[in-house]
Amino acid sequence: MSAASVSVPEDSVAAVAAAPRGRDEGARLGFRLTLPAQVLVLFIAAFPLLMQLYISVTDWGPLGGTGWWSAWRLWNNFANYTDLAADMRFWHALGRTGLVMLICVPAEFLLGLALATLFTGDFPGKRLFYSILLMPMMVVPAVAGYMFFMLFQSGGPVNDILSKFVGHPVTIAWLSDPNLALIAVMIADIWQWTPLMFLILLAGMVGVPEDQMKAATLLGANAWQRFTTIVLPKMKAIIIIALAIRVIENFKIFDTLYIMTGGGPGVATETISVYIYKVTTQDLIWGYVAAIALAILIVLSIVAVFAMKRMVASREVRA
Amino acid sequence: MSAIHLNSLVKRFGDFTALKTMDLEIANGEFMALLGPSGCGKSTTMNMIAGMEEPTSGRILFDGRDMAGVPMGRRGVGFVFQNYAIFTHMTVRENLSYGPRMHGAPKAEIDKRVTAIAGLLQLDGLLDRKADRLSVNILQRVAIGRSAIMEPAIFLLDEPLSNVDAAFRAVMRSELKHLQRQFRQTMVYVTHDQLEAMTMADRIAVMDHGVLQQVGSPLEVYNNPANVFVARFIGSPGMNILKGRPAESDGGLVIDLGPLGVTPALPAELAAALRRHDGDVLYGFRPEQASLVREGRGLSMAVTFVERIGARTILHLGEGEGAVKVVTDNDARVTVGETLIVIPDMGSVRIFDAATGRAIGGR
Repeated sequence: MSAASVSVPEDSVAAVAAAPRGRDEGARLGFRLTLPAQVLVLFIAAFPLLMQLYISVTDWGPLGGTGWWSAWRLWNNFANYTDLAADMRFWHALGRTGLVMLICVPAEFLLGLALATLFTGDFPGKRLFYSILLMPMMVVPAVAGYMFFMLFQSGGPVNDILSKFVGHPVTIAWLSDPNLALIAVMIADIWQWTPLMFLILLAGMVGVPEDQMKAATLLGANAWQRFTTIVLPKMKAIIIIALAIRVIENFKIFDTLYIMTGGGPGVATETISVYIYKVTTQDLIWGYVAAIALAILIVLSIVAVFAMKRMVASREVRA
Repeated sequence: MSAIHLNSLVKRFGDFTALKTMDLEIANGEFMALLGPSGCGKSTTMNMIAGMEEPTSGRILFDGRDMAGVPMGRRGVGFVFQNYAIFTHMTVRENLSYGPRMHGAPKAEIDKRVTAIAGLLQLDGLLDRKADRLSVNILQRVAIGRSAIMEPAIFLLDEPLSNVDAAFRAVMRSELKHLQRQFRQTMVYVTHDQLEAMTMADRIAVMDHGVLQQVGSPLEVYNNPANVFVARFIGSPGMNILKGRPAESDGGLVIDLGPLGVTPALPAELAAALRRHDGDVLYGFRPEQASLVREGRGLSMAVTFVERIGARTILHLGEGEGAVKVVTDNDARVTVGETLIVIPDMGSVRIFDAATGRAIGGR
């Protein structure tokens, strides 16, 4: 290495040396300019995260009489994490969250895709239906929760309509049946979030070049073939974005669900968010809460990284 | 291969009439250019031939077979779009094999056809390249190959060279002409560029405002324009048109151009036709077919602008309704303000009816 560098001409050494000095100056200016933003990020992201990490290895709670900064006195040797591994209520909540996600997100996706396909064509009343379709998205989730709470009462409209169909009075106790309650919650989620899926997918579908669609038609492709060979491949990136948004959001499902069932009956509809909420407000063991939240953050980050990788890959293909 | 007959074709979009009535016969294996300014109805005509749009009335026949109700995928028509509409998310091979794949052809046959067409279009080495990073002449070949693999009876090309820079157009023109000779398909080529139409087409259909103005070989359209629009549109610069009225003189029939003076005597044949005609006329001559002198009998006009384009010089003379252009040598020593005598070549003069714009005494 040293022998080789001796033979390098003088002026090129100078040029190489000059470059980093310029870059240093730029970097210093950049640092100064972004300093306020960095301080802000430090306080809203880095600090809470570190605090959470710190508390998660202690038995600290808000009622213990010690400030969070002296939580080290309550060091519990990673007991929160070992407890978490054995906490069946946690694992069930996680499984339930996954189940809701596996049913709701594909349902919302397929419904959204079908609606988007419908709306790329023309039909009477399109604008009106468009507005109506987007409405659920604008309803505050808590309000949507109350709406569905009412709808699914045993004397509520859902049972009324079912009665009309089957011909005799139906009195299903939707929200107090351990199995049906989860279905009711999923119906509410699909109702509220299909519009978002529809909107994102429609935007993507409108962006599919019309002349390529025409070219495919002229080459003899039928509607289904055009959909699978042109529309879907072109929409790959946007589909991944839409799915990623809904997977992450659905994982955090809370408002609607909490108002409809409160996680009950028993723990039948308890998802991760509801479980964390209960441990936070009822059991008040915040060290444990911090441990759960960190575990979930890691899970979600893995999902996000995977989705981003796929998205970047498919963008490169399109560019 | 297939002949195309357009029978009183009409297309309206609401109140707007894109195509008034169009009757056109395109022979088997012919290269027909539809030429006209934008909005003249040429693309509408093409889209109706392809089946992308339904005619308001009239019929389209392929070899005598009525195409009404035949969907665009089943007409046996290859279409090359203005921007080629290549499937950018596929490879060149996937683009070429798209048609056969959609028709469920067996894999071995698809491979055979792709190999054949790729060989013909010199795309052999590019088959596995993504179609989104190809140069424009390769895109053109892929677009043609993708249609040609279906062995269409008719090829429709919608201004395929309009996105190409000028220098490259000449290359693309000759390549396209070469491909047409190879495939021997009936080709309909839509363009607003007369150079493309002139150099490639067997016949040109000139259109304006939804009306077919003239159909003929490139030279026919250039030499004997059917009306003032064609005379002005074809040629660069277009034909000079001056308003006047016929008058007898010692040498024969002349046109009195008012303040510009009197034209040289007309050829006998044209004079004979004109004597049977009443009213004002338009006197036309090609800028390339006129001589300039400083002394003599002709149209005396002042030079207003000297446009040097290298190989030639275009002189702008006169003003307003009496303005003309004359193409002359590149080293012409002319200054602005100078007065020159323009003498149109006798054989190049064309006369049009001032009211209808139609040619009088055309051959």
